[in-house]
Amino acid sequence: MNGNRPTLVERDTVPAATPGLGWDQVKSELLEFFASLKLAMFLFIVLAITATIGTVIQQNERADVYIQEYGEQVYHWFTLLGFTDVYHTWWFTSLLALLCINSLTCFYKRFPAIWRSMQQDKVNVSLPFVKNLKYTTEVAVPGQKDRVAEGLVRMFAEKGYRVLAQNGAQEATVYATKGIMGRVGAHVAHLSATVIVLGGLVGSVWGFQQFGVCLEGETYHIPEGKFDLRVDKFWIDYHENGAVKSYNSTLTVLEGEAPKLTKTITVNDPLVYKDIWFYQSSYGNAWDRVEVVRLNIKDKKTDEVLHTVDLDWQKEMALNDLGLKLAVTDFVADFGFNSQDKKVYSKSVDHENPAIKLAIWERDSVAATPWIFYHYPGLFDIKDSQYRFELAGYRPKQFTGLQISKDPGVNIVWVGSTLIVVGITLSSFIYHRRLWAKIVPDADGARSVVHIGGNTHKSQIDFQKEFRRITERLNTLKT
Amino acid sequence: MVRSLFLFDMTFWLYLAALGLYVGYVFARRPSPLQLAPAGHPTSTGFNDGAWATQIGQVATIVTIFGLIMNTVALATRAYERLEHLGTFAPWSNQFEAMAFVSWAIIFGYLLFEARYKIKSVGAFVVGIGFIAMGAASLLPYRYQTAEPLVPALNSYWIYIHVSVTLLSYSAFAMAGGLGIMYLVKERAERLGKPSRLYDALPDLETIDELGYKAIMVGFPLLAFGIILGAMWANYAWGGYWSWDPKETWSLIVWLIYGAYIHARMTRGWEGRRAAIYAVFGLLMVVFCFWGVNFLLSGLHAYA
Ligand code: HEM
Repeated sequence: MNGNRPTLVERDTVPAATPGLGWDQVKSELLEFFASLKLAMFLFIVLAITATIGTVIQQNERADVYIQEYGEQVYHWFTLLGFTDVYHTWWFTSLLALLCINSLTCFYKRFPAIWRSMQQDKVNVSLPFVKNLKYTTEVAVPGQKDRVAEGLVRMFAEKGYRVLAQNGAQEATVYATKGIMGRVGAHVAHLSATVIVLGGLVGSVWGFQQFGVCLEGETYHIPEGKFDLRVDKFWIDYHENGAVKSYNSTLTVLEGEAPKLTKTITVNDPLVYKDIWFYQSSYGNAWDRVEVVRLNIKDKKTDEVLHTVDLDWQKEMALNDLGLKLAVTDFVADFGFNSQDKKVYSKSVDHENPAIKLAIWERDSVAATPWIFYHYPGLFDIKDSQYRFELAGYRPKQFTGLQISKDPGVNIVWVGSTLIVVGITLSSFIYHRRLWAKIVPDADGARSVVHIGGNTHKSQIDFQKEFRRITERLNTLKT
Repeated sequence: MVRSLFLFDMTFWLYLAALGLYVGYVFARRPSPLQLAPAGHPTSTGFNDGAWATQIGQVATIVTIFGLIMNTVALATRAYERLEHLGTFAPWSNQFEAMAFVSWAIIFGYLLFEARYKIKSVGAFVVGIGFIAMGAASLLPYRYQTAEPLVPALNSYWIYIHVSVTLLSYSAFAMAGGLGIMYLVKERAERLGKPSRLYDALPDLETIDELGYKAIMVGFPLLAFGIILGAMWANYAWGGYWSWDPKETWSLIVWLIYGAYIHARMTRGWEGRRAAIYAVFGLLMVVFCFWGVNFLLSGLHAYA
């Protein structure tokens, strides 16, 4: 029971609840509840348990992913309880809010006593009080009461204590205290938890986060900042052994037509313009266009490859010896067909079933635009044509994935974070201790008995040592 | 590469020797007939170590110091190897190095503790934990032990401070866990009522309890600082300071668990046995956060 001991003196400053069922009663019970350590422990543990859910169940996946893994029934429960997005459910947010209320109420209830004891402390305590403290002893020292008290005050001051003394006719009392900042630190931590949560709130209300899939050479409008962003270049650097060293995108900010800022961003080095941050976040192969396509042109009859050509994206190419003109007009990475609006689309971003749309003009007699599949060569025959076209390969167009975000709450979060670390550190390494000494003269006044006692709310071992050193010093007190 | 691995190996054997010596020390101690010290007195042991125990204790300390030096040199060599070949030096850039660093921090922390409180029997437990960390590292397959270049996501100066601070907090919690086990061993002996030699050689329960609490009070602010440094890094690298990715969520879970502990201590009944069990449980959670998450749960980082 470390924690309650030091409140021996403070306890009487907490107003006693008045009997009856008036508003005061309700108020004090509410205060009691919201400031209670039991609630704090409950919240810490419940938050810890519920936070694990989201690390075990994949968050924010598509419905079919859950159904496949857990089944229909379980998925139903998941959505009901919010397990597919635990950290944004009403109940998780409420737990966080409760923790804030809890620590604020704790501050409200307990900090005034600490504040008061920083201003003034109880010096004049009774002798039984000293004798009842956890660490207590008595030492007889030579010297008059006043001189002994002076010596004690000097000793405590040398050790960095704040000292108060009272000299009465019968006895002198010396009070010494140190380390109140440890307790202030705890309360700084309590306040800053709320500051952090508030910062998060500001960010989620007034900030935004977006993911942009951007292609080289294209310009994108950023409505939130009223400017444009041009992606000049994307490339990957490699180590000697082939491992990736860095992903790089060169970006240019344009206001109207005028370039304002150009920067090459890498994973750990974003671009910031008008409080909007652009991060190198991922990269990949575009699913709706390619750079170059390699085509085998075969003779329909002999099945012999007549020609292998590389076609640039959406550029016509004439092959006069075969009497052909070709162009790649479209690409999908994962072929899908919507029979309602008769449109071809890519079912996913993965290159599962790649296909190109080829425009063919053959000797002015044939004009066709067939889809040609990488995995199913020769699926469709082009009537009247001498040739068969096979997609032998293609070089995908790479996109750069940019995370675009703005968070006006982030600085509030950093202030709160700094305070919480400072607060916890203070409370960990500084402990609050208080000592009282009563100096009672002998009958003849030449010698005095020092009754000394003290307590601390934690660090009992260190305080024990300190207490022993102090009592040892008492024996050799120079008066 | 081979050079640093050899040094890590030597560290392993030195720690094993140190652990053996500390255990030997505990068994060699003789209870003193004179029980002068008041209960809860930390330095006066009420013990007459006897010539044997004193000497074993001294050798144990010296071997531990040598082990720590070896560990330091191994980490420095690894840092040099990284710098030479890869351009960054943080000798805590993969699981193996991180474990070796944790073990370094535990032993360093223990030696500081021994210098201050002079309770050597704690070494039988805490040096044990440091040894286990080093041992687990050396059990990793060879390909985990070598220095690979950092993936781009980690290639940042943040790794120097964020990772080291977090690992230091783990080390403090590991010390607390070791003290928790020590408490339970002693408490069990006391409960059985048989005054065994082992029981007498350990410091009294109140002292162990208090030391465990102190270790957690060192780990708690360090972990808070480490998490916040991670958030700052994430904000700089990924465009958001908090994205509920399994690793960061688990470090928060661990922090919440210890948060419950420090507040529980202020209420009745959360000292001693319960606190000791809780500290061991906390250590298991730390181990999961450190190992389990890396090997069992999927990270969501784009480049991981
Ligand atoms: C929100 C996160 C919280 C953090 C980071 C935090 C942190 C701390 C720390 C570091 C201490 C010092 C511990 C010690 O000296 O051993 C402390 C003390 C304390 N905490 Fe919290 N705490 C939090 C929430 C709460 C809540 C919700 C309560 C509600 C009852 C609470 C009640 C207390 C009390 C009563 C003390 C003792 C203060 C004193 O010594 O005067 N804490 N807290």
